[in-house]
This record gives sequence, structure tokens and C-alpha cells, in this order.
Amino acid sequence: MSENQPELHPDITTDMEVVIDTEEELIKQCEKMWEDMEDCQNKLSLIGTETLTSSNAQLSLLSMQIKCLTAELDHWNKRTHEITPLTEDVLITLGKEEFQKLRCNLEMVVSTIQSKNEKLKEDLEREQQWLDEQQQILESLNVLHSDLKNRDVTFSVSRIFKELKAKMLSIKDFKEKLLFTLGEFLEDHFPLPDGTSKKKKKCMQTSNAQLITLHEIIEMLINRMFDAPHDPYVKISDSFWPPYIELLLRNGIALRHPEDPTQIRLEAFHQ
Amino acid sequence: MSVLRPMDKLPDLNRATILLVGTEDAPLQQLAESMLKDDCASELRVHLANSLPLPSDVNRPRIDLIVFVINLHSKHSFQKVEESLNHVDSRFFLGKVCFLATGAGRESHCSVHRSTVVKLAHTYRSPLLFCDLEVESFRATMAQRLVRMLQICAGHVPGVSALNLLSLLRSSDSLPSKES
Repeated sequence: MSENQPELHPDITTDMEVVIDTEEELIKQCEKMWEDMEDCQNKLSLIGTETLTSSNAQLSLLSMQIKCLTAELDHWNKRTHEITPLTEDVLITLGKEEFQKLRCNLEMVVSTIQSKNEKLKEDLEREQQWLDEQQQILESLNVLHSDLKNRDVTFSVSRIFKELKAKMLSIKDFKEKLLFTLGEFLEDHFPLPDGTSKKKKKCMQTSNAQLITLHEIIEMLINRMFDAPHDPYVKISDSFWPPYIELLLRNGIALRHPEDPTQIRLEAFHQ
Repeated sequence: MSVLRPMDKLPDLNRATILLVGTEDAPLQQLAESMLKDDCASELRVHLANSLPLPSDVNRPRIDLIVFVINLHSKHSFQKVEESLNHVDSRFFLGKVCFLATGAGRESHCSVHRSTVVKLAHTYRSPLLFCDLEVESFRATMAQRLVRMLQICAGHVPGVSALNLLSLLRSSDSLPSKES
């Protein structure tokens, strides 16, 4: 330490001198190194050349490598490290470099963290949206659940009974309506013969019984069909007006008994 | 000056020179361009030659690294390289010589067997690199590698010498001791 102090004194005196000293010292060192190099170069040029053949290559190369590696090893062991004189401007330059490096690193860190932040924000938004959707689904499911529960609670036998009765009544009404409409239609379009034509007079005279309307014939057929489904045949009586029977048979509304021509039945439209 | 010597001239400031020796011009040219595209701190010079000895009338700087390019598809290139090796000073082989074998990808076209080249590299104790110089990406990678090696051989990397690099580059397929 005591050796250093007298060296420091001339450096601290003036800034100008300090600057020149560092430069000069560095230039001196460089010149010295160049002179050493030139010496070495001169020595090397004196050494002759030798080429290798494939036979002696390995051995000579290996022995050369050993020599050179041991020489390098010696050199590394002996070498003392020279530090550049730590004058002010050297320190300042080194400090500046360090700060530059630090600044670059910190900038990189800032940018990475910023991008990470943004990514996290995006993730958060997405997750939030998902959560909202899930909550909506949950709410709607809850509403559905409570609805079903309520319906279940008011489920009772009497209610069903009443509903069925109402249904039955409405169906009955419909049936009545249909039959009424059918009757009207038949009366309008298929009336009983009031006045018989002259040509058919002969045929008509054989019948004595009172003719029943087509409506009644059809009613009879329907009732027979549903009262006795195993034997839905109705015997043709004189009260049936034959042309109407023919009408029913030809239009496929009634069918004859396969063995007995005097019996007819209604076509099973409901089966 | 028919023999190349490693330290015959003083080095130029911050300059590194590489010599590519190979019989075919096109791959050498392309490799040289790839190397020059790579940006490194040192100033690069690339010299191309078909074979050694080099013409002595040209003023060339000190050569830091020689790369012998052998095309496995032609026996002629292999023979030329073998002949050229006789014109290289023995001190070059302390890490400043490298062999590059190209065309190993297409086995059917190879007239020079892989083991021949391996044996040559082993005899001269130099690293052997395999690269298909026709593929752009491989060529770029190999160019980068050669630039790093060149920087070390020119002494631009403090603390590592060419000989150190050689000791560190152990070839993966070294011949068993019986053959040698």
C-alpha cells in the first residue's frame, strides 16, 4: 500500500496530466508488445520448414503437440496478470460500460415483464368471461330446477281426474258434432225417395216396409261394428233402400259377407 | 515458398484469413459467401484454392486456418487433397488444419468410403467435419462454425489457442488402437 501512495500523488495533481499519462502508458505497452512480436517473428523465420508424410505424421505430430502443450502450460503458470492502471478515466469508461450493460439487461427485463403482464390480463379477461357464462348457465338451470319442483308439488290425483273428465267431455262434444254434421250432410244429399220414378215402380212395389234413411243404415252399421266386433254383420232388411246399399257397397264403405249375400258390414276404417 | 508455413508473416490488425482447398469451385464459393455473411468482430478474409502448392507470386496475408474440402462423391478430390498435404508445414497441424467432408448424405453416390476420410483425419491428428454443402441451412451452420474456429486460430479469442481447441475437439469416431 505504501508503494502505491507516491504513485497516486502525481496522478491527482491535474486532470490533463492524468489523461495523457494513461494514453501514453497504453501506447508504450502496445509498442513493447509489438517489439516482442517482431522478435519472435524473426526467430520463427529462422526455423526451417518440414513437411509430413502419412507414415511419420502421427508420431511427429503427437510429439510436437506434447512439446507445445507443455510450453503453453508453463506460460500460463508463469504469467502474472497485469491490470490496466485504474486511473479516473479508465474507471469512468469501465463504469459507463457496466451501466450500459445493466441498462440493456433491465430494458429486456422490463419488456418481458410487460408482455407477461399483457398476457396475464388477456388470460384474466378470458377466464372472467368464462366464469360469467358459467354463472348464467347456473342461474338458468336453477330456474328450471325450481320450475320443475313447483310442478311436482302441485301434482295430485284429483287434478288428473278433472283433466281427464274435461278431455272426455270435449271428445264427446266433438263426436256429437260430427254425427250431427254427418246427419245433415246425408239428409241433404241422400234423401229418401219421396216420389218414385215410373220405371222403377214395379220394383218398388214389392217393398212394403217403411224405408229408413241412409243415416240410420250407417248408424246401424257403426253400432254393430263396435258392439260386436267379432260379428259385425247386419242382415239386409226390406227397410234398406237397395240403391243406397249398392252405393255403400260400390264405394267401399260397406262389404258383403263372403258367404252370405244378405249380410253386410262396415269397412273397418279404424283398424 | 512452395510449403505453407503458419507463422511466416506478422498478423494484420484484427484480421483473420482462412484458406479453403477443394477441387470443385461452386461449393467453395458458396461456403465463402456464407462465411462472409456471418457478422463477427474480426475482419475475415477467405482464400480459395483448388490444390496446393499455391502460386508464390501472389502477396497474401498470413493464413490462420486451412480447410481441406473433400467431396465423397469423387476420388479425384480425395487424391488432390492427399497430394496437397505434402505442401503444408508440419506446424500447421497443431490445430490450424481442418478437414471437411461433403456429400455424405447420398450413400449411393459415394465413391470414397467414409472410413478412408476418417483415417486420413486421424493420421494428421486434425478434426474432421461432415457437412452437406449443397443444403443451404447446413452450409450456413458450417460457415458459422468455421468462423468461430478461425477466430480462435487467429488468436482473436483471449485465453484459447488453436492447440487448446484441437485438444478439446475429440472426434467422435476415433479408430481403435489395433488398426493404427
